[in-house]
Formats: sequence, structure tokens, C-alpha cells
Amino acid sequence: MIRKFLAPVIANMPLAAPGHRVLTFLAPALVADARPGQFVAVAADTGVQVLRRPFSVFTADPATGEASILFSVHGPTSQALAAMRPGDALDLVGPLGGRVFSPDSRPGVRHIFVGGGYGVPPLVFLAKTIHAADPHALMDFVDGARSKEFLVGTDGLEEIGVTLWLCTDDGSCGHHGRVTGVLPDLLGDRSRPAHIYTCGPTPMMQAVAEMAAAFDVPCQVSMEVFMPCGLGVCMGCAVHRTDGTYARGCVDGPVFDGREVVWQ
Amino acid sequence: MTAAAVTAAAAPDLSVQIGKLTLRNPVTTGSGTFGFGSELADLVDLNRLGAVCVKATTSHARIGNPPARIVETPGGMLNAIGLQNGGVENYIREKAPFLRRFDCPIIVNVPGEDPEDFAAVTRRLTEAGVADAIELNISCPNVSHGLDYATDPRLTAEVVSACRKVTDLTLIAKLSPNVTDIRPIAKAAQDAGADAISLINTLVGTSIDIKRRRFRLANGTGGLSGPAIKPIALNLVYRVAQTVTVPIIGMGGIMDASDAVEFLLAGATAVAVGTATFVNPTAVHEVADGIAAYLAQNGFTEVRQIIGAVQAADIRPRTTPEPTQEI
Ligand SMILES: Cc1cc2nc3c(=O)[nH]c(=O)nc-3n(C[C@H](O)[C@H](O)[C@H](O)COP(=O)(O)OP(=O)(O)OC[C@H]3O[C@@H](n4cnc5c(N)ncnc54)[C@H](O)[C@@H]3O)c2cc1C
Ligand SMILES: Cc1cc2nc3c(=O)[nH]c(=O)nc-3n(C[C@H](O)[C@H](O)[C@H](O)COP(=O)(O)O)c2cc1C
Repeated sequence: MIRKFLAPVIANMPLAAPGHRVLTFLAPALVADARPGQFVAVAADTGVQVLRRPFSVFTADPATGEASILFSVHGPTSQALAAMRPGDALDLVGPLGGRVFSPDSRPGVRHIFVGGGYGVPPLVFLAKTIHAADPHALMDFVDGARSKEFLVGTDGLEEIGVTLWLCTDDGSCGHHGRVTGVLPDLLGDRSRPAHIYTCGPTPMMQAVAEMAAAFDVPCQVSMEVFMPCGLGVCMGCAVHRTDGTYARGCVDGPVFDGREVVWQ
Repeated sequence: MTAAAVTAAAAPDLSVQIGKLTLRNPVTTGSGTFGFGSELADLVDLNRLGAVCVKATTSHARIGNPPARIVETPGGMLNAIGLQNGGVENYIREKAPFLRRFDCPIIVNVPGEDPEDFAAVTRRLTEAGVADAIELNISCPNVSHGLDYATDPRLTAEVVSACRKVTDLTLIAKLSPNVTDIRPIAKAAQDAGADAISLINTLVGTSIDIKRRRFRLANGTGGLSGPAIKPIALNLVYRVAQTVTVPIIGMGGIMDASDAVEFLLAGATAVAVGTATFVNPTAVHEVADGIAAYLAQNGFTEVRQIIGAVQAADIRPRTTPEPTQEI
């Protein structure tokens, strides 16, 4: 159920990556309802912005009722978030998002997460959710960034059995190059079915979706287009579908089948 | 007296009349900002709205404009959605049944390409019994078929009278702010048979990305809404209220109850909450509750007492001396 509420901030931790932070807040009802791929719409007192800003649910801990978002400081809302302190009230609407990541249930399937930038948080939530349902699930996480210090959000994944594949544009860590550079090896293993879940910059998702199609592997993409209302009423976050129509990114998505999307 | 006692003692009458409709309170929704009601079912109780005005419904489905469709601007936003909707038959089949489950009058927003098209959709909605009122969207800035009906009194009258012939439902003409003088247009709508007038639709505007040296909206231009347009909307509502006798549904940048009270004082009988819903999905309820609180605090027993109750501005020039008896 979608709620509008004020969540008390528990912690606001800077990450090693410059400008990146994790904001943790108490929101038991959100934690109970949120699914990987869903997001919250945040209203911060910026004085200059009218509309809310969407942030993916990064963690949702049923034991504590705490949820978090991982963000990088871009503009007024993220700046205001960076300045929040424990005890402050975070103005939220959520969970939002109609179609979420749907874990592939085929036995022995290899789950491949491909993330970049602020596409990482929903994939981490997904990996943890898959692990909770099946501790033996086979998971690979391909994380891409400009350089080493911008690889964020994947802490703790190896502990739940995820194999990490780090990629940097400048070669400062892991594979030197794009995330699509490591995918052929993973997709080439025909001994088991594979499934890709991706979220990040549109050009990255396009490249990943095209590679998935070439290998005939299913691919779910989470389209992080500008979402003015997040509720499905403004029709602003149009995602062009191959049937020629425009879907609403927020409620018909944000997760789509990679083959459903017309990439520009 | 405690706060609770004030409310209990006063419990002001919020009901207003728009054409044949009695609204339980003067708060409705701006078309295109509230979907078809079901999207907000978790957050909004339709049984507590004065009326619900749904997204534009055209004779045939429209896929809408390519993205980017919305950009934020100082104090507001520009939209160029392009009237994406499933068409009138889809509305009747898929959308109306949900809305009919509530005790809330339904206003269907109808754009059209020409008077015949407006009338055909109006007739179909009337026959199907899926609307309580029709709001003629003669003012959409995003579907330029060359003609913008709300910029010309004669064209406005043509559309309104074509629809008046085919429906007994409450007929509302939605006017555009993108005109030099709105008064003759409002008058033409009333004379052609409109039971009410709603205003304002969005103001045409644009925004340019200086890095890419391109328009931010794929459509080039869009409609400005939100707090930035409130002073303009308020003035136009006041002007039109001085010109027509039919009730006015005022809108444009209403974010909270005090904004809504300003519109009522300016002469609106009801108000619509638009862009505010994107920011605060429960704004419609907060506005209605806040109007009630304002009435109670100021000793009014009925919302009707404040409609048009703003005192006329004192426009006597203060610097001119009193006329003297000079020859
Ligand atoms: C579903 C979803 C989930 C998201 N999850 C996260 C997350 O987990 N973490 C995170 O850090 N961010 C996330 N984002 C992105 C975040 O919502 C935006 O970056 C947001 O604009 C930040 O607000 P701001 O006020 O800080 O910056 P803003 O002032 O809004 O701008 C930030 C940057 O984005 C650009 N921008 C803004 N609007 C548009 C537009 N319409 N088209 C193109 N560029 C635009 C600006 O030019 C600027 O460079 C998500 C977005 C979506 C749609
Ligand atoms: C995203 C969006 C879509 C809209 N779609 C319609 C529409 O379909 N028909 C219509 O008559 N007005 C439409 N409007 C105009 C609103 O109903 C309203 O007249 C205008 O936005 C001013 O009010 P506001 O500032 O409170 O939003 C739309 C406005 C927005 C922001």
C-alpha cells in the first residue's frame, strides 16, 4: 500500500565514494510492503524545487523496520538529504513502482545483476531478496563505474554468495572497460539457464539488453526516467514500447522486459 | 473552547452547486493530474471529494507525445503530455466502473478537434451514463490542430453550443489563460449554454537546455502549472467572476487551503487541485479540511458566504488631489 508519511532518520552515513551516502530511516510499513525495484518519492525542503525526487529502496530490514536509500549528491534534493541528521523527519511517499523485479524461478538459474551508479541499490535489494528465498541461489553481480572510488553499494554481497565482477572505465579496479565486457563469459556458460536484471544509465542498459537478446537470455531493465508524480497520474515518465505505445515508467514499470523497450 | 469544540460547534456547510451538481465540498481535481481516480485509491478517499475530474478523454485513443514530456521550472513545471488516453470507449469500459463505486460526481474532461468531435464524445458519454458533468477542454495548449477554440469568443460558442445540443449534463467550459482578454470568451461560453466555467488551463511556455542548445521538451513548448501561475489564475478568476453569472471552478497553483480560500474570495464557487497532487497526493483532503477550518475560525457557517467576498480594490488614484473649484 502506498503511504505518505514522515520517517525518522536513523543514520546518514557517507560512503567511501565521493558524494555518496546511505540514509537509513524507520519505516516499518514501507519495509513490509517494499519489493526490489520499488522506490520512494522524497520531498526535501530545498526552497527551489516543487516536485518530489525518486530514490530506490536500497535496504529493507524486517527485523528492525528500517529502510535505506543510497544516493549521490547531484542537486537540491540530494544536497538536502546529505544534510539530514538522526531524528530529522524524512518526507516520503511510497513504496512506488508497479512492476518490480521478478526473480527467475527456473531451477539452477544463474542470476546476473548488472548495475551502474544509482542503478546498484535496487539490484542489491533484489540479490538479498533472492538469497533470503533460496540461500543456494547462484548470483553474479557486475558493477560498473568510472573509476575504483565510485564502485559503491555492493558491500556484504560476497558474504551471501554473490560473485562480484567489478568494471571501471579507467581500469583502476577489475575489468578495464564497460560492464558488457564481462557479460559474454557469464552468458557463454550454456550449462544452466541465465537471467539478467539491470539498472543504471540508459546507454548501459541498452547495451546490456541488446547483449542479452543476442544470447537469448531474458533481461529485466529498470527504467529510471524522470518521474514527476511517481503515482501514474501525470503521464510524464513515458517509456517508449516496441508496440508503439508509451508506458508510464512509474506504474507500468519501472521494471520492463528488455525486449519491450524502444532504445533511443 | 477546545479545538474539537470549535469544529463540532461550527461544522460549516461546505456544499456548493455547480450546474446540476451538488458538491459536498468545493474541492475537485484538475484534469490530467489525478488520472482516473484508481491510481490514488490508497491515499485518497473519493467519497470525501467534492467531485473528481478525470484525464482528458478523446474520441479515439491517443498515444501522446514523445519524452521528455515534463520539466520542472522555477515554482512549477511544464508539461506536454499530448493527451495520452485510451479513448472514450476505453473510458466507458475500463475506467468509469471504478469511479461509479463512489459517491462522488464525475467530471469528464473532453478535448476535441472540431465542434462535431467535441459533441460526439459528449453525446457518447451522456448516453452511456458515465459522467455527471462534461468539462470542455477547449484550451489544451498541446494539441494544436491549428485552432485553439478558447482564444476566440465565436469558436468557444460554437463548441459549447454544439455540445449543449447533445447533453443535459452539467456543461463546463474550461478556458485558457493564453489570451489578451478572457472576459468576452467567458461571456460567450455562458451565452452558448455553459453551466459553469473552469479556469485556468496551463500557460504556454518553454525551457531551453543551454548545454545541448535544445528545447527541454520534445514538443518544444508545454503548459506551465504549479505555484508560479497562481497570481495569474487568481486575477483571471476574479475578472471572469465580474463578467459571468454562472459558477466558476478556479484552479492554477493551488497548493494548500489558504490558496484555495483566495480563489473562493476571488469569486470561484469551487476549486481544483492540480500539480499539488504530484507533490502531496492527499492535498485534496487537506485543502477541504483547511477551508472548513478557515470558515470556523472566521465565524462563517457556510462556504457560500466567502465566495466572491474579496473587497473591491480601492483604485482611486491616491496622488491626485481632490478636484478643486477652479475655473
Ligand atoms: C525510479 C528511480 C530511482 C532512482 N533511484 C535513485 C537512487 O537510488 N539513488 C540516487 O542517487 N538517485 C536515484 N534516482 C535519481 C534521482 O531521483 C535524481 O537524480 C534526482 O533528480 C536527484 O534530485 P536532486 O534535486 O538532487 O537533483 P536534480 O536537481 O533533480 O538534478 C540531478 C541531475 O539530474 C538531471 N536531471 C534532472 N531532471 C532531468 C530530466 N528530466 N532529464 C534529464 N536529466 C535530468 C539534472 O540535470 C542534474 O544533472 C532515481 C531515479 C528514478 C527515476
Ligand atoms: C501533467 C498535466 C496534465 C494535464 N492534463 C490536462 C488535461 O488532460 N485536460 C485539461 O483540461 N487540463 C489538463 N491539465 C491542466 C490542469 O487541469 C490545470 O488546469 C492546470 O495544471 C493548472 O492547475 P495547477 O497549477 O493546480 O496544476 C494538466 C496539467 C498537468 C500538470
